[in-house]
Amino acid sequence: MLNTRVMTCIQCGKCTGSCPESGKTPFNIRTLVRKRQFDGAIADGLPWYCTSCGTCTLRCPRDVKPSEMIIEIRSAFVENGDIPTTIQKALENTFVQRNPWGRSRNRRAEWVDKLDFEIPHVGDTTAKRLLFTCCIHAYDPRCIVVPVGIARVLKAAGVEFGILGEEEACCGNEIRRIGESGLFEELRDENKGSFEEYGVKEIIALSPHCMNALKNEYEQTGIKVVHYTEAIHDLVKDGSLVPAKPYEKRIIYHDPCFLGKQNKIFDSPREILRSIQGVTLLEFSRNRENSLCCEGGGGRMFFDVDTVYQRNSEVRVLEAIEMEADMIVTTCPFCLMNLEDPANEKGMVVKELSEILMEVLET
Amino acid sequence: MNILVFTKRVPAAQEEELKITGDGKDVDLTKIPFKINDWDAYAVEEAVRIVEKSEGAVTSIAIGDKESDEVLRRAVAMGAKDGFLVEMEQVVQDPFERARIAHTFIQKESIPFDMIFTGVQSEDDQFGAVGAILAALLKVPFASMVIAIDEIEKGHIMVRRELEGGLQERVKLTLPCVLGIQSGINEPRYVSIMGIRKASKIERKFFSGANYTDGSAHMIEVNRWLYPAQKEGAAMLEGDVGQACSKLLAILKEKGVRQ
Repeated sequence: MLNTRVMTCIQCGKCTGSCPESGKTPFNIRTLVRKRQFDGAIADGLPWYCTSCGTCTLRCPRDVKPSEMIIEIRSAFVENGDIPTTIQKALENTFVQRNPWGRSRNRRAEWVDKLDFEIPHVGDTTAKRLLFTCCIHAYDPRCIVVPVGIARVLKAAGVEFGILGEEEACCGNEIRRIGESGLFEELRDENKGSFEEYGVKEIIALSPHCMNALKNEYEQTGIKVVHYTEAIHDLVKDGSLVPAKPYEKRIIYHDPCFLGKQNKIFDSPREILRSIQGVTLLEFSRNRENSLCCEGGGGRMFFDVDTVYQRNSEVRVLEAIEMEADMIVTTCPFCLMNLEDPANEKGMVVKELSEILMEVLET
Repeated sequence: MNILVFTKRVPAAQEEELKITGDGKDVDLTKIPFKINDWDAYAVEEAVRIVEKSEGAVTSIAIGDKESDEVLRRAVAMGAKDGFLVEMEQVVQDPFERARIAHTFIQKESIPFDMIFTGVQSEDDQFGAVGAILAALLKVPFASMVIAIDEIEKGHIMVRRELEGGLQERVKLTLPCVLGIQSGINEPRYVSIMGIRKASKIERKFFSGANYTDGSAHMIEVNRWLYPAQKEGAAMLEGDVGQACSKLLAILKEKGVRQ
């Protein structure tokens, strides 16, 4: 049982006021907390609107954890087998292939074929520094450039690192938030077993979602976990990486919820962008702790709600256009995918930060 | 209503490029994950839904190696009361032999049933024959491609079979009977890991397969595994997305698809 502290709620409504889903969808987090206090029935579809951005929990003046309460509600649906089909598919795929898309586990490391050098298995490295790819980075044709790019950047900076290849399993961040705690535990134990077997000392996670799970939800591994932007920022600071080519662009940075508001990593990506000559860094009206969620977290990558409404990603793209940005840059694969849909439609460019690094570094 | 459901553990091979080894005698499955045969999951779900509405019990039966216990655990987590594993020392591919083992097992162990469900076929061997042969051996009626069970009465049932051309056929079968359950008949429920853990505490019964086979030669043997012949006519478009799209447009124009 999670300690969600729902009984201490005073119904102030700050959670609903902060929620990226409230007002435009039937989802009202304050009402759900109220129902939970009185054990009221909760309609099937409602809990699946939550994007796990965590804003409600971060802002609650009474330290209630509504976003954790959602996980508890979802767990009950999961245990009853009563969940949306696409979520079910993602869970079953993860059970069999260790990734929600059901792609072959044996092909998890195929992205390395795009490199002109080999990456050793982490067990064969001296530093025992692991590059942890996200499932979406390993398989999705749009996102595969991220591990490829970061591997090149790290190599160029002389950083020794390795991978787990097909032994790597989904981190389980979204699986836990979908409410499948048993499967999350399986994934966690499997990955922790690999970390232990190969003596992993440090993990560079490519996705903020993986970083969050590995850092905060894997229970005392004693392993240092960083997001790749932190590692790259350090390399820029100590001069190991020098963005040589100018990049004359107006860039607006989108904070991913799991990197920014939930793990307070706001500056590393911005500092990397500022270190590139010619970049004009712009800010959304809602930035840093107030950043607007792309709606890709908490299982929403695998499930589309019934309600028709203006998606937050479209709000972001329209603001970027109004700010006369040349492109939106982000550091999370889910944000990238969600922002790119409306951006393609409206003629805006969305890039993952690593894509810009590949353009400005002579690797 | 007592329903027996045959459930098979199969390799999850859709996403794999399987490798033939041993000079065509074997397929390398060492790194392939296994799962419940997709059609069998629908069969278990259908059986469980029936007994949830009426009386009786679902028994899941697997003919296979020790590892097949995992599909029994899943079936029990879905709502089956019992799980029986008929443990075989070697893989049985011949559908006649599989059906004969199933038949002998049911008879020897005097397992009561009103209906027996199999999936229409198994994902690995795809003979689609075990249910039909089992029905013949038991001398009971059989229907395959069952996409709906409309009525269950004392002594008979009405089912719908899925046909080509958008048609369905409603047939009446006397009980007991064997049904080949088609995927899409329902949405199999999600079984959580916690659910499977709880199901693991319910004891499954293990039987030695050797007791249900007379050792006679299989009527079908795998001669060798082959890759399909590579066809010509496919072209890989090189270059970045822009270049590849330009080439594609040129081809479409050349072939008269796009003016």
